[in-house]
Amino acid sequence: MGIDPQHELHPPGFAAAVEYRGVSFAYSARAADGPSVPVLSDVTLSVSHRERLGILGPNGGGKSTLLKLTLGLLKPTRGTIRVLGREPSAARAEGLVAYVPQKSGAEPAFPISARQAVLQAATLHLPPWKRTDAESFRRAEWALSLVGASEYADRHAGSLSGGQLQRVWIARALANRPRLLLLDEPTVGIDPAGQQQFSDLLARLRNEMDLTILVVSHDLRTVAAGCDRVACLARTLHFHDAPGGLTPAVLAEVFRHDVSAIFGDVHIDAHRAVECSHHHAPAGSAGGDREGGKAP
Amino acid sequence: MKTLEYLRDYPDLFWPACLAAVALALLCSMLSVLVVLKRMAFIGQGISHAGFGGIGLAAVFGLASASLSPGATIAQFVVVLAFCIASALGVGILSSPQKQGETHEDTAIGIVLVLSMAIGSVLVGIYSPRFQWESFLFGYLLNTGWADAWVAVGVSAGVLGALFWARRPLAFWAFDPRAAEAFGVRTGAVRVLLLVLLAVATVTAMRLAGVVLASALLILPGAASLKLSSRFGVVMGLSVACAVAGVLAGLVLSFETNWPPGPSIVFALTAVYLASSVAGRVAAAPTVEGVVR
Repeated sequence: MGIDPQHELHPPGFAAAVEYRGVSFAYSARAADGPSVPVLSDVTLSVSHRERLGILGPNGGGKSTLLKLTLGLLKPTRGTIRVLGREPSAARAEGLVAYVPQKSGAEPAFPISARQAVLQAATLHLPPWKRTDAESFRRAEWALSLVGASEYADRHAGSLSGGQLQRVWIARALANRPRLLLLDEPTVGIDPAGQQQFSDLLARLRNEMDLTILVVSHDLRTVAAGCDRVACLARTLHFHDAPGGLTPAVLAEVFRHDVSAIFGDVHIDAHRAVECSHHHAPAGSAGGDREGGKAP
Repeated sequence: MKTLEYLRDYPDLFWPACLAAVALALLCSMLSVLVVLKRMAFIGQGISHAGFGGIGLAAVFGLASASLSPGATIAQFVVVLAFCIASALGVGILSSPQKQGETHEDTAIGIVLVLSMAIGSVLVGIYSPRFQWESFLFGYLLNTGWADAWVAVGVSAGVLGALFWARRPLAFWAFDPRAAEAFGVRTGAVRVLLLVLLAVATVTAMRLAGVVLASALLILPGAASLKLSSRFGVVMGLSVACAVAGVLAGLVLSFETNWPPGPSIVFALTAVYLASSVAGRVAAAPTVEGVVR
């Protein structure tokens, strides 16, 4: 599938799809709660075009905050972020960035089919006096078939399973042909078969679209199976070329927990600064597409 | 049939009521789908009680006496509407999801509701102590004149136009507010728009038909239509159909039995809702999981 010409915008002199430079963030605390606690400190990271980067970390490690900063919904306390060479909020306003939140805020009783839900995103840019056009329908169909949701596209969204809905949300995010896709805990509540399908889906998206993908998860299987590189985030960043490079020692340090426990549900104290060691891998390097780093 | 006789023999008494009732049905029915889905039924109550405060403010300007000229009637309507819109915005600001230490919407409505009633009773007590609350808050549909009816038609057209204009962001926000924000919908603005439209609809309906009928029209058509379809556009259309059918059936009931029109319409709308529930259940049994596959 081709890319929208309007999205072929590479300002000269920027190479990375997303660039974080010394990014820190603290939620401003209310006086009664004491001083504000830093959620992220000094995160420096660059994500190449068409890379699939997994960000692994414990709950409370700042992963979702990093995504909100990338969307421009929050502003960093220190440091800068560039998304496709722009301010994060500008990139989002241009429709270059799409986001699939961890918890869906969707109202299950809302009378809408999966297809209509995707069309909502595809038609959002249309002026109010225009009817839904053929192009929007085409984009919605394309996105639904890309994620493999065509067969249940006419069903009521509230009646779909968690895994099916996840695909619909990704289709909705892709309907406007973004250049950067942010996925927050995409496999929570999805069975192992669904996880395998999810990593297949990431591989397919990479092959069919000019798309950079950031996957944030506390689940090693999710990031290891579908990503080119994995960064570990527990307030600061630990970075590794390939899922295979994640050693038990690193994981134990990030999670402050025995690695064997990572395959279960992880709830660990993340209020701990770990030193930031960080080096780049070239775009699209590293294997580990599916089974790559499943067994550190 | 008395209905036909009335409409033939007293056209200036009964036709404006019918026209106003249909206009109110159109005005409220589409909003009611959103009211039901967003669980905003209480806001209608809050806004209609804000009418007390509005009348208090009108009394300050001498617009709350028993017999008003048509111009003063419209001025009173505008003052009350402005007060109710301000109250709706107050609720919106108090319960803004962006603010830290968020106040729940129903808490905010409760605060604005009691404050408005207090303001209203003090101001009316000072400026217009002989004001009859009933005439304003429990409006009587058959008192509707042609001017009132056309005002209702105009307001209805305006609100439906605004809903049409904002339909895409509004529906996206109503379905999934968190995603809507990430997709660039200005969710705060959409919410305020809905609150303002609700204030306009509530005040107009309350003025002509009373608080109870205003609430009924903002809840029952949406609740009924949501039982019948799982397509948003179809639900909107059905909601309009349910409201118009309920209002007309209620007026006929009122004409035939000499019951007051407001309660008659509430009975008819409730009957439509119950029928929809039964129909929805009968239809849903085989389709929800089985046949649609």
